[in-house]
Amino acid sequence: MICTQPFEVTAKNIARVLGLPDYPFVKVQHPIGSCTLPELKARAEKAYEQALPILLGA
Amino acid sequence: MAAVAPRIHEAPDDLLAAIDYCYEQGWTDGLPVVPPQVDRVKAMLAADARPADTVICHHPATTLDLSLHAAAVNAVMAGCLPEHFPVLVAAFEAMNRTEFNFHGSTASTGGSAPLLVVSGPLVDEIGMNADVNLFGPGNRANSTIGRATRLILRNVFQMLPGISDKSTQGNPGKYSFCIAERSRGNPWPLLCETQGYAKGTSSVTTFAGGGFCNVENHGGNTPEQILGSVADAMANYGCITLGQSVVILAPEHMRILADAGWTRAQAQDCLFGQAKRSVEGMKSVGKFRDREYDRQHDADAHRLAEPGFVHRGLGPDDILITMGGGDAGGHSCFIPSWSRGRSSLMQHAPIAPFPKKS
Amino acid sequence: MQLYSPMSTTPKRKAFRAPPLASLDGARIGILENGKLNAEEMLNEVAQLFVERHGCTVRMLSSKSNASAPAPSPTLTKLAQDVDFVVTGLGD
Repeated sequence: MICTQPFEVTAKNIARVLGLPDYPFVKVQHPIGSCTLPELKARAEKAYEQALPILLGA
Repeated sequence: MAAVAPRIHEAPDDLLAAIDYCYEQGWTDGLPVVPPQVDRVKAMLAADARPADTVICHHPATTLDLSLHAAAVNAVMAGCLPEHFPVLVAAFEAMNRTEFNFHGSTASTGGSAPLLVVSGPLVDEIGMNADVNLFGPGNRANSTIGRATRLILRNVFQMLPGISDKSTQGNPGKYSFCIAERSRGNPWPLLCETQGYAKGTSSVTTFAGGGFCNVENHGGNTPEQILGSVADAMANYGCITLGQSVVILAPEHMRILADAGWTRAQAQDCLFGQAKRSVEGMKSVGKFRDREYDRQHDADAHRLAEPGFVHRGLGPDDILITMGGGDAGGHSCFIPSWSRGRSSLMQHAPIAPFPKKS
Repeated sequence: MQLYSPMSTTPKRKAFRAPPLASLDGARIGILENGKLNAEEMLNEVAQLFVERHGCTVRMLSSKSNASAPAPSPTLTKLAQDVDFVVTGLGD
């Protein structure tokens, strides 16, 4: 699950309410909506790096 | 899963210290609340004949439920009297519908607040205000019912500002956004009648209101001139979307329509037809979306939707229009929907009568 | 003075995470986008990195018609059955 930095507290709160307070998720730079393709690709790379340990349980 | 018993807090007996206690618990909207003392809550619950653990609203995002009990606690905190409680209950029963999507409209950066419009004989019975200072401040019923709505969203559903309520700039309506429809001098059928309720039944309409735009016009003296200025407000680049609208006409403006014999349907048609921006204009500010334009002009398009233009809403029925406010002043208002499309649609529910004392 | 809590009486939930993957090689990816601007594009870019570097395949793209409501149960059930991991987003 990917969110941008301003929504980090939102993600933590909903994870807590749904019973998974330590749920790990990916954080990328805000915003996404107005990004150019090169900017999206840069954010995607950062997301990939954070996703690896989450998916593999490292 | 069965609900747990309502928790009781041992707070100081001193009233001022109890008010501070509520602040420390994080229960307030930033203003002091009435401490929800158990006897006051029980008196509030007597305004609904159903068991206290009756669930009246469910939050899909968190799976949290709103019971009558929790609603009563927050109603006491807001300063409601028991006779106000049935309005609050009906409002949440309306907002409970999927089509309203109270989570989205509350959590969004768009910053809306649920607007409650109460219609029917209950308005006078519980002393609501449909007149001067319609949107406040000053009237206990209007202020506290609206405030209780916010306290419930915050305390029961954990929609906390900055955390799960991500409104970029907030909205003054998030303190309280509750009005009564004016019947005195209203030439049109009341909302509760058009909504199909039995004679004598009052209703509350809920709408995810994204803001408040005053529409001033003291020189216009035809329906087209008055509604033209309203339509212009509806079509401003910051507001024009496929979402619904609420328009509250001041009595001065409504008089002009009534004298010309205009019906509600004529007013809605006029507003929808005129509240539009050209495709070029929408593109010039970066707000044109192909799929939104296509949606408005597809096989189900309303006959008044003009090719080459983006209108506000999908049709005249997307515009709720009625009357409210004081006798003097050419000041009507337009309230845009939080939803830029169909993510939240206004809902209404009947208000149950106050239980008769046995 | 005894005060009632204004909070919900719904019991606290307990939930569990899916077990970690043993390997990403050839894993099946689902994309669940929330309809926000650039959501699909962003999630696609992330998925493509897994495709290029681990031989993953994108099995399905699901779109939420309502960004602020949970995805419909049938969507989630199908994702759980057909993919090894989902790439999704929250908020704007």
